Amino acid sequence: MPSSLDHPVGADQKPSLFSINGLCYTYPNGVQALSGIDLNIDSGESIALVGQNGSGKTTLIKLLSGLLKPEKGTVRYKGESLSDPHLSRVRPEIGVLFQDPDDQLFGHTVLEDVAFGLRSQGVSQADAVPAATDALAQVSLTNMAYKPPHRLSFGQKKRAALAGLLVTQPKVLLLDEPTANLDPGQEQVFLDLLKAFPGTLVTISHDLIFLYELCDRAIVLDQGRIHRDCAFCELVSQRENLRANGLDFSFRMFVTKDGLESDTDSPDKCPRPAPSPKISPEGAPLVVLRDYAYRYPDGTSALKDVRLAIHETERVAVVGENGAGKTTLLSCLIGICRGQGEFLFDGRPVTRPVRRRLWRDVGMVFQDCADQLFCSSVAEELGFGLRQLGCSRNESRSRIQQALSLVQLDGFEDRVPLHLSGGERKRLALASVLAMKPRLLILDEPTAGLDPQGEELLLHILKDLQVTLLLVSHDIFFINELTDRTLVMHRGGIINDLPTHAFSTDERLGNLNGLSFVYRERSAAAVSLLQYEHEHKHIHQHPHIHTHRHDRITHVHRHEHAHAHRFLHRHPGDDKAHAHLTWPYHTKDHPTHEDGADDHAHKKD
Amino acid sequence: MADIIQYPLWQLPLLILMPLGCIAAMVICLRRLAHRKEIPRGEDPDWSVPSLDDDTGATLLHRWDVRAKIVTLLVYSFAVASLEHLTPSLLAVVLSLTAMAIARVSVVRVLLRLLALSGFLGMLLVVLPFTVPMHSGDTVLLFGGIQWLSFNVRGLLLAVTIAAKAVAIALLMEPLLATAPLPVTLNGLARLGLPEMVGQMVLLSYRYVHVFLHEARRMASGMRVRGFRKRTDLYTLYAVAGFLGMLFVRSFERTERVFDAMRARGYTGRFPEQGEFRLQGRDILLASAWILAGGALIAYDRIIL
Repeated sequence: MPSSLDHPVGADQKPSLFSINGLCYTYPNGVQALSGIDLNIDSGESIALVGQNGSGKTTLIKLLSGLLKPEKGTVRYKGESLSDPHLSRVRPEIGVLFQDPDDQLFGHTVLEDVAFGLRSQGVSQADAVPAATDALAQVSLTNMAYKPPHRLSFGQKKRAALAGLLVTQPKVLLLDEPTANLDPGQEQVFLDLLKAFPGTLVTISHDLIFLYELCDRAIVLDQGRIHRDCAFCELVSQRENLRANGLDFSFRMFVTKDGLESDTDSPDKCPRPAPSPKISPEGAPLVVLRDYAYRYPDGTSALKDVRLAIHETERVAVVGENGAGKTTLLSCLIGICRGQGEFLFDGRPVTRPVRRRLWRDVGMVFQDCADQLFCSSVAEELGFGLRQLGCSRNESRSRIQQALSLVQLDGFEDRVPLHLSGGERKRLALASVLAMKPRLLILDEPTAGLDPQGEELLLHILKDLQVTLLLVSHDIFFINELTDRTLVMHRGGIINDLPTHAFSTDERLGNLNGLSFVYRERSAAAVSLLQYEHEHKHIHQHPHIHTHRHDRITHVHRHEHAHAHRFLHRHPGDDKAHAHLTWPYHTKDHPTHEDGADDHAHKKD
Repeated sequence: MADIIQYPLWQLPLLILMPLGCIAAMVICLRRLAHRKEIPRGEDPDWSVPSLDDDTGATLLHRWDVRAKIVTLLVYSFAVASLEHLTPSLLAVVLSLTAMAIARVSVVRVLLRLLALSGFLGMLLVVLPFTVPMHSGDTVLLFGGIQWLSFNVRGLLLAVTIAAKAVAIALLMEPLLATAPLPVTLNGLARLGLPEMVGQMVLLSYRYVHVFLHEARRMASGMRVRGFRKRTDLYTLYAVAGFLGMLFVRSFERTERVFDAMRARGYTGRFPEQGEFRLQGRDILLASAWILAGGALIAYDRIIL
């Protein structure tokens, strides 16, 4: 196991905050989640815990927080085994942020929930409330203190859950996918909060670009074992290793004009689409909405004055901050919700009977694919919609095979959907819709919860589809790759309809709608530089002036010696052949020899 | 002997349809009113202060000790349920309306409670006049001379009395439940002997019913967008079974995650108590007055009438 970071505990050193030795854990159903974990975590470290879905990350977090007991081995916190009574004592010091904030907000009001940790320790109501109010102020939710948690937006729920941890002033935060399903604006808010946290951070995320500025150390888990333990920069700079662990996100690298994009030599970077010409599709649009509005049953306005036309084979993205009305718009297009205004599909007004048949032409993959998987086998799942369509048994069989092949799930017919991985379930949901051959395919946040390998596979599948596409996403890379046109939604209306390229280069639009991707672009550019222009340590020989003293006689003479120094080298990309030129000797004075290393520029190889 | 009044047969449908129509009209009006009141006026409430501590939350009932309130209203409800005559039952409705006015509770929520009762009460109003046993002195309406289809006015009065008592008690539920936060009410119940675990289950159910409903709606949408419509066939049963099974699995998994989250924040089997309970003289005074009112109603019902 390669390990470039080692954390030995010497006699004169402080013991690690967490010390894990020979840790194994097997779930009651026999699935071995972790085996042979040896790990030390020091106080103040910020660690990225990465790995493919099912690699054991969440199990490790649960063991670090004392929620699970080790099957074998030990988990020590501050030198003592993490079990009662030590565990009860240190519980407030270890905060766990779960992926779904609804799991964590069980209080009647936000304030009551945030105060829960303190009240559980026996702190009086009078003391707990001001502390909880302070914690809410840290996450800018003071004005929501008495709101029931179920009425918060997703981003607010995430911040409220974090406040519930901060109130006990923890020394360690264990975070499971802290930014999953957040829009870029909320993501930035969350990032700032985590950066300001003074203690130890252990963060699980598939989003290595998000982790780039947050973490200094990376632990890669693979099938329950630590595969790598290294500096975070080292992890992201080596594509081969990322790919080997299913973490290579480089396919989605999005670099700015200031970064490598302007460099024509930039190797193997993901090509950004050229500016699209003004789209002027011919023929009647497939979907038309005019002055369309929708109100929820409680009277809240979700859509207003929506005007929209989508032509056959167009690929359109819908973007907007959380709560802008994107999902409601999709629900109307697919006939789940009925708004007011003009709605034409294929030139015909969508009356009640037409709306009831819309599902034959419009397919939708939900953000959480668990919402549309309810059969006991993959084949049944695909056959469900085909049966409603009235397909014969032979035709169903043929369509099921085609759809499974399209999403690379051949041979999965008898598998149980519930037991598939996250990426497989997402592709199954897509296949169950594609089998029905929809004319309009709607995708709601297709990358949510996928690891980079799953994302890359999904991207390839979606790129090859010949179908009218409507994509709702916060993922600017997927939007760029898959669509030509972008609709920007804000507070229930479409405020902009423009070519995708124009959208992705318009910072004003991004900032206006909380969709600013500045942080991601900055991190991606930095990672890109690390990947393609990274450091080697080579032995070089230097001519050298050295002072020699022989008793009272001092003389200076020139000689050569070899030593290592930093050497920046730019790769043309993993798949392209390139040579590392060697310079056994090159001439350069080394005036600071006595002081150690001498960094200097090399000729471009 | 019963007092029998003959009517032509064609008036019978009128007699049944008219009250049903009235109830339906009332239900529609109540629903519209409730809906109109529910529509927000474009501004979110101020959530930085407790909703029960604003200007509507400073009433006598809000300040009443929750244990005294529960015991008093429970005893009073039994007293109302034991009334036998219409007049004291209507007086109980008036008392409940007064309590509502004092507590300044949400009219919409009260209307929604009444809506939930309306079907049951409507059925009583229609069925009881035709089914009560005939006593001497009863006034009976006969339509077209059909003996087995006699409309007993005493039955109608009995139905109205039951309806009035039900409404009186239902109206009290809002002053009982909406004048203190649910956790405080449940803490109060625990102090009165309700097992703590039951209180915790109610509290968590109340919090997560919204989440489960939301999940169920999304799953139902997932079925609908693939063409599923409920039919009277085996496949529908099969699909619905799959839906319920998956909902159960998801709910179970969420339960485990919520429990983990609670443990991670120090939960050891008890929810922290919300607030302190202190029984004061005014609480006992109010409880006594209320129970006296219930006693007065019973006295009027049993002794005077």
